[in-house]
Formats: sequence, C-alpha cells, structure tokens
Amino acid sequence: MGKVMLEVKDLRTKYITRFHEDVYSVDGVSLKIEEGKSLGVAGESGCGKSTLALSLMGYYFAPLHYMSGDIIVDGKTISGMDPDDVRKHILGNEIAYIPQAAMNAMNPTMKIIRFIEDVMAAHQIDMSKKDIYDMAKERFAILGLPEEVLDRHAVELSGGMKQRTVIAISTILSPKVLIADEPSSALDVTSQKMVIKMMREMMEKGFIRSMIFITHELPLLYNVTDDIMVMYAGRIVERGTAKEMVFDPMHPYSHGLMGSIIVPESGTREQKLTAIPGTPPNLKNPPKGCRFAPRCKYATPECSYVDPLMKDFDAGRQYACLKSIEELREVYAREQ
Amino acid sequence: MKGYKKYYFNKILWYLLTLVCAVILNFVLPRLMPGDPVASIASQSLAGVTDATQVQKVYAEYAAKFGTDRPMWEQFFIWLGNALHGDLGQSFSQYPREVSDILAKAIPWTLALQLPAIIVGWLLGNILGAIAAYMKGVFDKAVLPLFMFIGSFPAFGMATIMLYIFSLKLKIAPTAGAYGFDLIPTMSWTFVKSVISHYQLPFWSIVLITIGGQGIGMRSMAIYELNADYVKYSRFLGIKDNKIVGYVFRNAMLPQITGLALSLGTMIGGNMVAEMMFSYPGLGMTMLTAVTGQDYPLLSACTLIITIMVLIANLALEIIYGIIDPRVKAQQQD
Repeated sequence: MGKVMLEVKDLRTKYITRFHEDVYSVDGVSLKIEEGKSLGVAGESGCGKSTLALSLMGYYFAPLHYMSGDIIVDGKTISGMDPDDVRKHILGNEIAYIPQAAMNAMNPTMKIIRFIEDVMAAHQIDMSKKDIYDMAKERFAILGLPEEVLDRHAVELSGGMKQRTVIAISTILSPKVLIADEPSSALDVTSQKMVIKMMREMMEKGFIRSMIFITHELPLLYNVTDDIMVMYAGRIVERGTAKEMVFDPMHPYSHGLMGSIIVPESGTREQKLTAIPGTPPNLKNPPKGCRFAPRCKYATPECSYVDPLMKDFDAGRQYACLKSIEELREVYAREQ
Repeated sequence: MKGYKKYYFNKILWYLLTLVCAVILNFVLPRLMPGDPVASIASQSLAGVTDATQVQKVYAEYAAKFGTDRPMWEQFFIWLGNALHGDLGQSFSQYPREVSDILAKAIPWTLALQLPAIIVGWLLGNILGAIAAYMKGVFDKAVLPLFMFIGSFPAFGMATIMLYIFSLKLKIAPTAGAYGFDLIPTMSWTFVKSVISHYQLPFWSIVLITIGGQGIGMRSMAIYELNADYVKYSRFLGIKDNKIVGYVFRNAMLPQITGLALSLGTMIGGNMVAEMMFSYPGLGMTMLTAVTGQDYPLLSACTLIITIMVLIANLALEIIYGIIDPRVKAQQQD
C-alpha cells in the first residue's frame, strides 16, 4: 500500500443561498487516495461533484461554507487552518485545482507569463522574472506546449490549448493532489485525448502525485482513473476499481448509472441502455433514510427511514445500501 | 502588424469623411437662420444717416467685406480656404474682433473648468461604483443611489439649486463669472483667490452630476467581473484577494474609458448649460452669444472645435483600447 496522499474524513460543507437557506451539497464524504493513484468521481449533474471538488481545497468563500470533517494532505490536516496559511502554503503547492470552464479561467487582459509570475509571488517564491520564464518554458515544453503561449493572452489561444495551459499553470508548483473538475467536458474528442494524455504524463513525471478526476462521462473515467467513486445527492454510494465499477456495479444507483452508458469494450455490445427515472432530490431538504430510495426500484419501506452506511465488501470495495450483496446480485441476475 | 495598420488607415479615412460632412453642416446650418446680421452691423455704423443711397452703399460694403453677397457655396470655399490658414474671420456680434481671438480667450476657461471636473467626477464615480460592488452594504444601498438621484438632475437644475443654497442663502460663493467683475486678470493673489471662489460652484455642479452615472456603470461591470470564472480560479491558485481585486477592477474599468473619452470629447458643448447658468466666460457662453447674435463665423468656429474634439477623442479611444485590451487588439488585427 502506497503512501496516503489525501484523506478525507466525513467532510460536510454547505451553500448558504441569497435567501439564507442552507443547501447541504457535500454531506459526509470520506475518501482516501494513495500516491500515484487516481480516483474518478461520477454522478448525475447536481449530485454535488463540483462542490466536492471545491470543498476538498480547504479554502472556502461564499456561498460555500465549511461545516465539519477533516482534510488531510500527506499527513497534514488542512481543514481548520488559517485561510491565509491555506492560501500561501496549501493551494497550488499541496492541492491544485483545474476548473470546469477553462475557457474563462484566465484573466483575459493578462499575458500567461504575468499570471504565472503572480502565482509565484502569491506563494512567496523568490525568483527573478527571467528564472520564472525559464522554469515555465521548461515545464511547458515537457508538457508539449509551445513556448509562445507564455507571451500570449488567454483570448488568443484555442479551447484545447487554453485547457492545457490551465492544467500546466495549476500544476506548476508540483502539487501532491490535483483535483480536476470536468477538465475535458467542453472539448472535442481530439483535444480531450490530449488533455488525458497530458494528465497521465504529469503523473508519470511526478509533477502531480495523485489525482481526483470529476466527470459525468463514465467511459472516460474507465480509461483514465484507477478507482471510481459514485456520488449521489451529496454522498458517496459506492467505490471500487474502475473495472469493477463498470462491469459489476453493486449499488442500485451505480447499477442504473452504468446501465445508461456504453463502455467501448468487448462484451458490452449486447447491453441494453436504460435510464434512471426521476431526478436527484433537492438538497435543501434531503430525504430521510436512503437518498436514492424515492427513485430506486428495489426500495423497501425500510429504505425511507434507515440511513444506509458505507459497508466494505470484497477486496477494498465499499457500498451504501441496506440490501446485502447477495440480495442485489440476485435481483440483477433475475432482471437480465 | 499589416492588418493593424490597415485597420487604422480605414478608421482615419472614415474620420476624415465624418469631418468633411460635419464641417459642411457646421457652415450651412447657422446660415439658414432667418435674419440678416450684416444689416445690424451696418446700421450701427450708420446711426443718424438717413440718405438711402448712402445706407445702400455702406450695407453693400459690409456685405462685400463679409462675403454675404456671394452664393453660399462660394462663401463656403472662401471660409474653408481661410480656415485652413488659421483665419476664422471676424465676429459679427463683437465686430471687429477676430473669431480666433475670442476663442483664444474662452477656451482656457472651459478647459480649466471642465477637464478637471469631468476627470474628478469620473474618478470618484468609478471608485464609488467599485466600492459599492465589492463592499456592498451602505455604499450599495445608500451612497450610490443618492448620487444616482443627484446625477439625474438636469445641469441647469443642479446649478440653480447650488446657486440658491450657496450663493443666496449661505452667501459663501459668488453667483456669476469666473472672477470678480471689478478685477483685471493678473497673477495677483486677490485675483487668484477670486478665481478659486468663483470656480467652486460650476466645478462641483459638474462633478456631482457625473458621479452617479459613472458609478452605476462601474458597479455593474465590477459585479460581473467579480463573478467571472477567473476570479475563482485565481483564488484556488493561491493568489491574494487584493491582487485579484486588482485584476477585476482593471477589467471593469475598460468599458468605463469609453464614457470618459466621450465626455471629454463633448465637454465643450455638453456642459454648456453649466457655463451659462454661472455666466462662466468659457466656450459655452461664447456659443450662446454667437447664437443670439446670429454670429455665423463665431458659431461655425465653435462647432468646428467641438467636432474636432469629438473625433480626436474617438480616435484616441480606439488607439488606447488597442493597447490596453488584448481582446480589442485581436479584433483590430483581423
């Protein structure tokens, strides 16, 4: 077992809306990633994936607020630290973030190199402008980005180039954990492939030491990450290796989710695509008991008041459902 | 760089075309006013003369001197030829003063009053808008709306209110002019003091009117920029908040520069009312006397200056944008 790079224990965060209502979008998430591993987070839109990404940074600003739980990066607990210390010492050098909309992620009136200089200054790294330029040039070259990009403004770059530039800037301080929030969702397949390749290279070269990849595109996760976690209504419902999660999902929600997509692998051709009826619940008043119960076709009356806990099964797999693995296997088998 | 040069070449051509049209209109429109100003000048020098042929002769002399006996298109080319040599002719209403002499006396007053007033108003408005967007609270809920309210006053209304309060009731400011009527412009301390006290009301009336409009524009731009994706991303890269606020306000200022350039361009005509209300001896007052006295040469000269100012301001704006905003520059290069 490798060194644990990121450990999260029962993290809870909430949004406070303009109308002073609380929305519990990350509600008791625990996870662990080892060095050199990548973890995918999948789920429908509105299930709290992006909020989880923001919550993991340990740096909160309105409307997102921290409630409870621990975030431990390489043995250092960052939750509860002074926000300015988090900003100076954690963001960028321990945990880095790649935003969902790379298109507008960079200040449009600034040259890329000026932005990198500001990032350096923010972490009190004392380097001359020339050294920063050389360092950035070298890093960009390794990641296959042309040097000219540094002297360009964000508006002058294509979408794919912008996304790759954002990734290069995010990881310029070689963070231990990279959190990528749908980094490829706005890109065409070719650019997507380049982005994925770039992230793999960064992992191999040690520019990042672990990664959380958030997406709604499950086939992509299967090809990119080691493990997959499925999220529903602010909670994790199942976790396993990418292969297990795609071919042998256990929780009724993951089962439904995987049934609604095609993984381009042999053996999946005969699969019939299905959809999950209904929509995720409003997290202002989350349902009691199992949050998936109102949409679950296997739900029993018990499901609507007993909260299922994460249980271990097989080797290192976890799921949160009141039914036993055997029961679930049986109903799935009967359906086919 | 080729596309860039072509862009400006085209722009300048268009500006020249606009200038030509404006010059023609500036020349023709005043002359379409009914009435004959030459007759009134002639009658002044003919006081007491009753001989009809004598009157006729003098009138014809004046008409020939001013060129009003020729067809209008001929007058235009003569005027244009002279104007290109810097000769704007003689004023009718203040005959025999040279138009260029009258303008040279008026323009410094206008520049000294309006340029600082517009810049101060613009700066205060932008600062207030930025504070309202960033700090919210009392600035957003009370101070900015108050200035919006003040800003919606027409210039003459504002001037009247200020005159009533500060000149008539409080008696702390003079009512009219740019300096005491009993003083001769010199560099003496009494004169400077008088100028400063006469300066206050017209200056603050322009500033107060400018703040609200500029502030609300800045506020909405700043709110838009504060919610932009790059703000969130920069925060997660660990960049300090005050640096990010710097990014935001720089970007939010860009559209505001348009407002500044346009008000600088139109300042001479635009704030004419303020000058009139305070009888400030600037270009606005000069234009007013030119209109009432049917003074074609003076009126054409004033409008010519306004036209050139507006065009220069627009062209300068275009060039400045190309330098400070890479998005505009990219467009100009296409």
